[in-house]
This record gives sequence, C-alpha cells and structure tokens, in this order.
Amino acid sequence: MISSPTVDQLLEGVLIAIDDEIMPSLDNPAAQATAQMMQSLIQGVRQMLPVIDEQLVDEHNDMIRTLVDTAATLGDVPGDAADRLRERAATLGQWEPLPAPPDRDAIVAAHIELGRAIEASFLDLDELQRAGVARADEALNVVRAHLAPRYVREAETFVVGDGFVGRS
Amino acid sequence: MDGEFEQQVEAMLRGIHPDAEHVEIHEFGPIPGGFSRETYRFDATIHIEGIRERHPLILRMDPPESAAILDTSRAIEHDLIEAIRLNTQIPVTESLGHEMDRSVFGEPAMIIRRSHGNSSTTDLFHDGPDTHQVDDVVRHLCESLVELHQTDISTLNPDGHLDDPRGVGIDASSWDRYMDTTFEYYLDNYPKLNRDPLLCILLDTFLTLRRHKPRPLPLSLIHGDFNPANFLYADGKVAALIDWENARVGDPREDLGWMMMMDDLSNTKIMSHPVDEGGFLAYYNKLTGYEITEQELGYFILFGSANIAVPINLAIKRRVNGENRELLHLYLVQSSTPAYPGIAQLLQYPGVPA
Repeated sequence: MISSPTVDQLLEGVLIAIDDEIMPSLDNPAAQATAQMMQSLIQGVRQMLPVIDEQLVDEHNDMIRTLVDTAATLGDVPGDAADRLRERAATLGQWEPLPAPPDRDAIVAAHIELGRAIEASFLDLDELQRAGVARADEALNVVRAHLAPRYVREAETFVVGDGFVGRS
Repeated sequence: MDGEFEQQVEAMLRGIHPDAEHVEIHEFGPIPGGFSRETYRFDATIHIEGIRERHPLILRMDPPESAAILDTSRAIEHDLIEAIRLNTQIPVTESLGHEMDRSVFGEPAMIIRRSHGNSSTTDLFHDGPDTHQVDDVVRHLCESLVELHQTDISTLNPDGHLDDPRGVGIDASSWDRYMDTTFEYYLDNYPKLNRDPLLCILLDTFLTLRRHKPRPLPLSLIHGDFNPANFLYADGKVAALIDWENARVGDPREDLGWMMMMDDLSNTKIMSHPVDEGGFLAYYNKLTGYEITEQELGYFILFGSANIAVPINLAIKRRVNGENRELLHLYLVQSSTPAYPGIAQLLQYPGVPA
C-alpha cells in the first residue's frame, strides 16, 4: 500500500487544485457553490480519516457499556419493554470490547523501515548475483514472490477504471 | 486567449516572416490532453506582397517550470524536426520557429504547422472506420521508423545536443557507454525519488537491467515516445510523426519496446501489422536485418519504463515535499500504479497474472 504521498496529501492536492485551477474559471453561481461543497466534503473527509477507526472502536465499546448500564439502572422494573432492554444487556451487552486500533503513524513508520530493508536486500542480492552466487537468484525470487501480490493488489485498490486521462 | 498573448503570437510570426505586411490570428484555442506540453491550435493569415495565405498552426509551450516533468528544450526540438523534414522522407510537420525567452509567453514555446490527417489512430483498428487502411499506414509507419533509425546520427544531431538532451550524464560515444551511463543515471537517482516502499520494484528493475545487458546494436536517433497516439494518418500513409520532445540518441529497440507496450495498453494492434509481412517487428527486422526478438523488446520495455519513471518520481518527490501545488504530480502516483504489475511480469515475479 502506498504511504507516500499520504491519503491526506492526495486530498489536500484536490482541494488546492479546485482553488487554483477550477474556481477562477467558474462564472456560474451554481457551479461555484458545487465546487465549494466539494471542497467542504473533501475537507471533512480529511478531518474524519485520522480519527475514524479510533472513534468507531470507542463508540462500539461505549455502546456495550451503555446497554448494560441502562438495564442496570432499570433494575427489576416489570414489563415487555424492560425485558427487551435487559435482554439486550444480556446479549449485546456481553460482547467483548474491541482493542484500541494501532497508531497509524507508527504503522507507517514501521512499514517504511521494513520497506527500506527490502530495498537494501535488492542491492545486496545484486552484489551476490554479479559475483556469480547462484543461490542469490533463488533468494531474489523469494523477495519478488513477496512483492508480486502487493503490486497486483495495489493496482486493484488504487486504480480507477477508465480513470486514465490524457490524449485519446 | 487574452489580447496580450495573441499579440505575442503575432509578433513571433512577424519575426519568422519579416517580409509580412500583416499577420492575423484566428480561432485560437487549447488542445486538450497531453501531460508534458501545453498546446494551442490557431490559424494565421499572413499577407506577403499582397498575397494572403492562411496557415493552420500549433503553439507548443512548456508548462510552468514547477510543473515540468521532462526537462527538454523547444529549441532542440525545433532543430530536430527541421533536420528530419529537410534531410529525410520521414513525415513531420514544419517547425516555424521557437521562442526561448520566458518574458514573451511566460515559458519557452515553438510554433509548428498543424498536420492534416486523422489523429484518432484507434479508427484503424477493431471496428473502426479506417480498418481498410491499417496495413498501408502501419507499413509506412514502420518504414519511417527504420529511416529514422538508419539515418546518420550526425545528419539529425549535428551539434550533439541529442546525445544527452536532459543533461543527466549520458555518454552516447558508444553503445556500451550509452547503456552503462544510463544505468548509472537510474541508480544514482533512485535515492532522490519519492521512495514509497512500493517503489522498490524500480530499484530491482535498474539492477536487473544492468545485470542482463543485451547484445549491442548501432545507436541511432530515436523518437523517444513512439506510441499509437503520436502519429496522424491519411490515405493509407502516415501524415506526420509528432511529439519529438523526448527524442535522443539511443538504442533503436527502445522505440520498438515502447510501441509494443503502448500498443497493448492502448488496445490498438500496430504490432500485428502489416499482416503480409508478419507484423511490425518482422517487417522492421526485414528492413534492417537486426533480427530483434520479442524477448529483447521486453528488456527495452523495462529500459524505457525506467527512463520515464525517474523523472516522474522526481516530480512526485517535489510535490510531496511541497515545492509546488501541482495536482498532476499527485495524479501521477495513481496513473503509474497499473504499470507495476506489468513490470513485475517482465521481471518474472512469481505469481503475477499475465
């Protein structure tokens, strides 16, 4: 998965391009309003992305606690509605809380460090291959076998059908 | 187009035609598409000694320096086009002149004559309207490429500007030096690229190319972006080969490899024609005697991909570093991604589907 540029940098680039290249050419008020709404939505996504996993987990765990606390507060109040509340506390309220999501910055930093190690392996294997070490060919294939599905997956994830622009 | 810009175009044409009594510009407008240069089409009516002639023209302008990906010169491109036009049968449009002074158009620019013919070369294939012309057009395309590759380099490159037009340290004094200094250029620049971990396939490519240098062939002047979108045709002939900005001294297999790759990506079938000659490569081999194999072209697809990947990833690096605000350089990250499985396949990565 590509980490440089970051997703935030890509979205910021779109915002800047709307400002620099599109807004000055728009003289239709509806088009201007649409461009501003696009900018607002993109900025909202930028702000949402860094916190979405953490907040989903936090809210997930707090909903479990809330279901239990709500039923506990009712105590032994009779009736079907109260029974349904206690039933939820006994079922969904017993779910295991989710662990806090890992720190995204730490993941990216570790990913880059390991990527540098793969890069360095290419250089060392090249030195061995040029020295005639046959097993370096096999070792190179190990590295390539790791990378191959990553490239296929990246293309499937990041590339948009018919998204290629340029002279047709 | 604002009036000042129009006046500059007029002034440039007056400089090219000092005997003109009057110059008028009509129907000036941008030509959409193409990443590397900004192009505008217009007609110019030029009055000389009472005679009016209307000329279909193109203004081809460099993008702003911050947005440039390939650092190439309009003056060198102009000189090359004119050398080809005046010394060979290769179809090119006339280049009228160039203006390298940034104070005129904001960036260096050149004016070339607009070619006649159809630029939608996909019309030649599948169920397109011009499929009956395809064998003749591609035959002429191949013959033109052979002529380019077999014309004495000194005829087309008398000043040596195309030995290393990007100024990146290429030594074209021999095939071996050309290849070795190109590998050095790739490898020396790798640490300066936008080094996302996924990019390490480029390092593997550079090292693999260096380990598996193919047999030598005579160096030649190559187009440098020989692909299905870079020619126009009419009446069973190539009307013009266009976009010479990346031309340089190189290995002729670079043009063939690039065409093979772009033919596949463009869903055209240039490499399958002319049918009676067994296809483009067979006909090229018949005319040159080079006996180039498809395996060699695979090598030069990688070589050509490396050649464009270096400036592209340097540009991405500048954008990521915040040196400019160009969306294009971010978009290149996405548009480059489909190339990686193809490169992995050529490098014989295990498990990459065909």
